[in-house]
Amino acid sequence: MSNAATFDTRTDTAIPVESPLAFSYRHSGAPRAGSSSRVQLRERAMLGHLILRGGAIVLDEAVRDVLGISLPGKPQALVQDASGERSIQWLSPDEWLVIVPSGEEFPLETQLRERLGDSHYAISDVSGGQTVLEITGEAARELLMKAVIYDVHPRHFPVGKGVTTVFAKATTILRRPSEERWELVVRRSFADYCYRWLLDAAAEYGVNVEQ
Amino acid sequence: MSQSKQQVFRLKTGGRIDRSRTLSFTFNGQRYQGHPGDTLASALLANGVDIVNRSFKYSRPRGIVAAGAEEPNAIVQLGSTEAAQVPNVRATQQALFDGLAACSTNGWPNVQRDLMGLIGKLGGQFMPPGFYYKTFMAPASMWLTYEKYIRKAAGLGRSPMEADPDSYDHLHQHCDVLVVGAGAAGLSAALAAARGGARVIVADEQEEMGGSLLGSRETLDGKSADQWVARVLEELAGCENVTLLPRTTANGYHDHNFVTLHERRTEHLGETAPVVNGRRPVRSRMHRVRAGQVILATGAHERPLVYAGNDVPGNLLASAVSTYIRRYGVVPGRQLVLSTSNDDGYRAALDWKEAGCEVVAVVDAREAPAGDWVDAARAQGIKIITGSAVIEAKGSNRVTAARVAKIDIGAYRVSGPVQELACDTIASSGGYSPVIHLASHTGARPTWRDDILGFVPGLVKGVHACGGANGTYALGDVLAEGVEAGVKAAAATGHAAQPVNLPSVERLQQGPAVALFQIPHEKSTLRGPKQFVDLQNDVTAAGIELATREGFESIEHIKRYTAMGFGTDQGKLGNINGMAIAARCLNRSIPEVGTTVFRPNYTPVTFGAIVGRHCRDLFDPERYTALHQWHVERGAEFEDVGQWKRPWYYPQKVNGKTETMHEAVARECLAVREKVGILDASTLGKIDIQGPDAREFLARVYTNKWEKLAVGKCRYGLMCKDDGMVTDDGVTSCLAENHFLMTTTTGGAAAILEWLELWHQTEWPELDVYFSSVTDHWATMTITGPEARKLLAEMTDIDLDRDSFKFMEWRAGKVAGVPARVYRISFTGELTFEINVQANYAMHVWQTLFKHGEKYGLTPYGTETMHVLRAEKGFIIVGQETDGSVTPEDLGMQWCVGYDKPFSWIGKRALTRTDTKRENRKQLVGLKPKDPTVVLEEGAQIVFDPKHAIPMPMVGHVTSSYYSPTLDSGFALAVVKGGLKKMGETVYLPMADGQVHEAEIVSTVFYDPKGERQNV
Repeated sequence: MSNAATFDTRTDTAIPVESPLAFSYRHSGAPRAGSSSRVQLRERAMLGHLILRGGAIVLDEAVRDVLGISLPGKPQALVQDASGERSIQWLSPDEWLVIVPSGEEFPLETQLRERLGDSHYAISDVSGGQTVLEITGEAARELLMKAVIYDVHPRHFPVGKGVTTVFAKATTILRRPSEERWELVVRRSFADYCYRWLLDAAAEYGVNVEQ
Repeated sequence: MSQSKQQVFRLKTGGRIDRSRTLSFTFNGQRYQGHPGDTLASALLANGVDIVNRSFKYSRPRGIVAAGAEEPNAIVQLGSTEAAQVPNVRATQQALFDGLAACSTNGWPNVQRDLMGLIGKLGGQFMPPGFYYKTFMAPASMWLTYEKYIRKAAGLGRSPMEADPDSYDHLHQHCDVLVVGAGAAGLSAALAAARGGARVIVADEQEEMGGSLLGSRETLDGKSADQWVARVLEELAGCENVTLLPRTTANGYHDHNFVTLHERRTEHLGETAPVVNGRRPVRSRMHRVRAGQVILATGAHERPLVYAGNDVPGNLLASAVSTYIRRYGVVPGRQLVLSTSNDDGYRAALDWKEAGCEVVAVVDAREAPAGDWVDAARAQGIKIITGSAVIEAKGSNRVTAARVAKIDIGAYRVSGPVQELACDTIASSGGYSPVIHLASHTGARPTWRDDILGFVPGLVKGVHACGGANGTYALGDVLAEGVEAGVKAAAATGHAAQPVNLPSVERLQQGPAVALFQIPHEKSTLRGPKQFVDLQNDVTAAGIELATREGFESIEHIKRYTAMGFGTDQGKLGNINGMAIAARCLNRSIPEVGTTVFRPNYTPVTFGAIVGRHCRDLFDPERYTALHQWHVERGAEFEDVGQWKRPWYYPQKVNGKTETMHEAVARECLAVREKVGILDASTLGKIDIQGPDAREFLARVYTNKWEKLAVGKCRYGLMCKDDGMVTDDGVTSCLAENHFLMTTTTGGAAAILEWLELWHQTEWPELDVYFSSVTDHWATMTITGPEARKLLAEMTDIDLDRDSFKFMEWRAGKVAGVPARVYRISFTGELTFEINVQANYAMHVWQTLFKHGEKYGLTPYGTETMHVLRAEKGFIIVGQETDGSVTPEDLGMQWCVGYDKPFSWIGKRALTRTDTKRENRKQLVGLKPKDPTVVLEEGAQIVFDPKHAIPMPMVGHVTSSYYSPTLDSGFALAVVKGGLKKMGETVYLPMADGQVHEAEIVSTVFYDPKGERQNV
């Protein structure tokens, strides 16, 4: 252990939780355009989010042992396990975003810390601070072009890429886990802004929000 | 009925319009008809509408001159309803749709019978160039009055007064090759680049792509030019790597190949976007293109000749005459006189004749014109008058005759007798000016070429010009140049060239053109009838000559003095003629005079497209905490803190009346002081700091000491910039030996994280420490007041005993069943617990607090109450008590400065400067108004002697001021020169209304000076 305080912020009792979009659903609704929709939106709420900081060499072996996937060393790379449920994304030369199913983040942090011993690194739990908005549908890419300054053309943004960029006037992480799926990782406090922006921009395509 | 009776100038056949359908529209309240495929301009000409506007300055009647973006006169206001008003639309660029309603932007009460005309005729004498500067600029205070009058007289269109029902947006585009213009050059360039595999965007401002090929006399591979256009467009449309954007103007070319394209998506369909399947499409879209390479295939504008009366309706560009006939099936008159300096102009005469109308004469400035089109004209029996020009157009509301004479260009004089030819239309051609506007936006100066008598674009890296934009006009050469540009651009972005077989084009024999700009008149320029250079801004040749006589030599000065090329026109028709006239007057060559810089936008862009979706409630991000829903339901008023919406106060209904802010804040303050209050403090910045050197790092970025802060303890920290001025503050807690949680001000969170990273990455990379923002992860609920412990004890397993959980400590445990970190710190001076839970649980914990809190009088309070409570305790707010010029010592916070820390810290050195050591610096003090009912104004200036002659020396200002319900008095914090040594002295605050407030300098701590209440 690296002499840091770990803290499991989750509780397994039946305590109600509110995702970052809970407010938005109440105030902006969740449109259902039905089968004519060309864009589908879905919040992948309550996942485990960890920010991993450290040298790639230090972290890689531990991550592979514990999570079974290797740390992406290539800038802007996103790797996932076979199920697609667990992912690691390169954020900066010594910074990665790990997203795992709900509740897995604390055991994962504990195991990583055990495995990493006295090395210098940092793990920060940010699960309550961000959420994943999944965007699919034939107009998904054009919708992203309205908001994101980064080039989302398939030649420039293949599957397995992820970047930190600007969404409208908010900073977001944009990633492409599969051919037809895009994910925006947005900070909790900006989630409603991003959601309203997406609904407004997607209105001309017909948008379906899955809750 | 296939053809409306009124369209008397419409040809029976020909053009690209659909005569099977009739569209109805109004212009200045009069109903007319046209066809799909028409522009508003072509429809007006078809209906014989001569006068479309009144001129800007002289209020002269004006007609349509051009057929494209360069049109200076036919600028209209669109919209049948208030909400749909659009100003400054060129009729030549507006597709006709059924129900279109347009009116002139100028002319009152109407263009036909214009009252301002009289004033204009009079005023014109008094409005020489420089008129605005000479007359209206002094006295400066009157300018607004003058401007109102001038604008009413001048028109210039108006913006709608009602909300726009349409939506607009942006699209961020990236491509290898952006092709601007889809004429012969642009299409061949796009084809070459696209076949090479490059990502290509083709933007063209017209309704249809094809440019001049759509109305060309020439053939490609033996077929009409529009067939080639159709084939190329079909291929391009089928390429997944090509985006075709018709009705899209490249309006600005910015740094690093960033080009903004203004796409008009529904303007051709109706005045508001038509609803399709219940959805309203976006009306206008700004494409923000980051291009690898840019190909400018923007073509050329024909240059009119400058002769007397050249603004009377019925004076047109020769190329526009051809375009109206060939593309729109409209002959804009009956009897034509053509004045030309080159072979290309002859096309207008040929088209006119083929349309079955009378060509009175072609007047050619050259002595011996020769070439294929000249021969064709002769073969048609058209009379050609050589060595001559139209020196004056006669007529007032429409051309009635052309005065034609021999001219001596070299001597600049009329050299023969004048003959008057009756006609209703005069077409003129002075050659072509390449459209260099976009290239000019990059700052590159254009280059003059004598061989083409025009400026070609100066080019920066990654830009290619081809075709007309590059001064290349022969169709075969244009196509070849387009392909070459396409191949080069594709190669520059890593795409191999693919062969493009050019269509075969018959090479025309053309004679050389002659340099002709302003036509001499029998009278001198200053005495003769007006010769217009810039029709939109009413700039005459005489105006330019006068400017040069008054000593203006730089073309940039002449432009500003005369207003040539100003505003929406940007000198499309007039600039080169204006420069040529200036050159003649100054006895210099045109390149010596140089050209002015064209600026964005090329043609006006609607504000909607500029703003896009960034308006109304999406103007700026609104950041919400996890408890926002509760605040909204509780009726909170919100305050903007950075992008956050924070509850400001929670007004209640008392006896059916909603509390004022003053009442609500007083109630909230007393609840905290007497019972218990709760604040949503989630917005505070939180930075997770880990690493063996975390403690050392803190000691270097904060002014105070951190070496002895034990695990489980919290400490207040003060942060300076390297100039020694306070930039942030907050409490940092030691979570473990190598693990700290820093809190920052709400507004400073992002900047402080960057600040830490900057110092770590650039100055102290040897320190092993990492930072991550955890602001949004935690929700923070502050319960504060005498009852806080009792309340929290009901719902936590943490031992809250005053001796086991002391002030400035933190504990982990469960609150309302949720894992929480609880910090015993205080910003109110009362017993306080800050409960931090993972944000997704926040609502549950907050609601549970209220379930338990009712019996203790738990009261939610907002930022206003927070401000009052902390000010009573003399706690600063960075950004309120500080403004970037305040040191820790100015704040009297020497206790928070570790002067003897072993390693230096940010700001330490600056605090030893003579200036920061000065005794009479402005220092933070408390102010007690002599009259307790007075609440001083924040920002009010402080003086020592109110009787001092004005200007009084100002010695400081009020930084925070409130009414304190606890003290039942107004009180304030202020910075006063040398204030710390002036305790008990009286200062004065003169107000704008003449009142002078008196206040006593006191300690900043107004309440519980020993700090006993937070320690209970």
